[in-house]
Amino acid sequence: MEKGLLGIAAAVCVFGGCATGIGEGLIMAKAVESIGKNPDAADKIQSMAIIGAAISETCAIYCLLIAFLIIFVLGA
Amino acid sequence: MFDNLFGIQPAVVYIALISIVIAVFLIIVNISLKKYDPLSKPKGLVLLVMMFAEMIDSLVKEKTNERVAKFLTPYIMTVAVYIFLSNIAGLFAIECPTSNFSVTLVLALITCTMIEVFSIRERGLGGYIKTWMTPMSIVNIISKISTLLSLSLRLFGNILSGTVLMSVIYQLLNSISSMIPLIGEKFNIIGVMVAPVLHAYFDIFSGFMQAFIFVMLSVSFIGNELPKKEEN
Repeated sequence: MEKGLLGIAAAVCVFGGCATGIGEGLIMAKAVESIGKNPDAADKIQSMAIIGAAISETCAIYCLLIAFLIIFVLGA
Repeated sequence: MFDNLFGIQPAVVYIALISIVIAVFLIIVNISLKKYDPLSKPKGLVLLVMMFAEMIDSLVKEKTNERVAKFLTPYIMTVAVYIFLSNIAGLFAIECPTSNFSVTLVLALITCTMIEVFSIRERGLGGYIKTWMTPMSIVNIISKISTLLSLSLRLFGNILSGTVLMSVIYQLLNSISSMIPLIGEKFNIIGVMVAPVLHAYFDIFSGFMQAFIFVMLSVSFIGNELPKKEEN
């Protein structure tokens, strides 16, 4: 019973990754759009987009870490 | 492999192993660079090292100024090689050192110290203290701590999630292949076929991206704290 509740808690935690996926998709969509408009600046746009994606990915990583903590520390 | 060797943590042994690998690699690079004739076309290892050095050099020069770049570039190169080798250590049957939070916390602490040190060097002590003399200095402290946490947790979480996912997938494939008669019970035959693709993503691609992102973020955080360049 208790372990099942912990599993549900971990699953709810990982749900935070959903929003991050949408955000990263928006970043990449805008990056592709602006490279299409201005192909000369492709290098700069690419590196900026990767940094932006990495920073917004941190949110999903925190969710995943908390899920791991719930599973491996509380559930052990 | 090295569990409880002389009562020290296995992660310490792995860190030492990777440092030794880097040292041997740098000695080989040094020998091949000494043999290299500057007038001929670079190829092989020399070309690879030159491309890497040029990439990091232009990255650091673009984000910071000339004086800082002179001290920062060697450190950034070493840390890039170190993080990349640590991330792909899972391929060589040892535990990734970067999946240990102490390692990533130390790497992020070095970056955070460097941000302050270069800020003091460029502005002078008075100018540095002046940056704290704002009503928003409490927010400043929070932003410094969040830099430390986000840099260390990003690397740690990415590599740890890769490791955990790979071990879960290996267990799943093992239980699937144990259904195959004759060979399946002793040998993880489906795992051998499926795992290399996943290793290529989780270890090589993700490891390279995380090393690149750590370096890129460190350089841009250091560059952001420097006084603005004069337009000429």
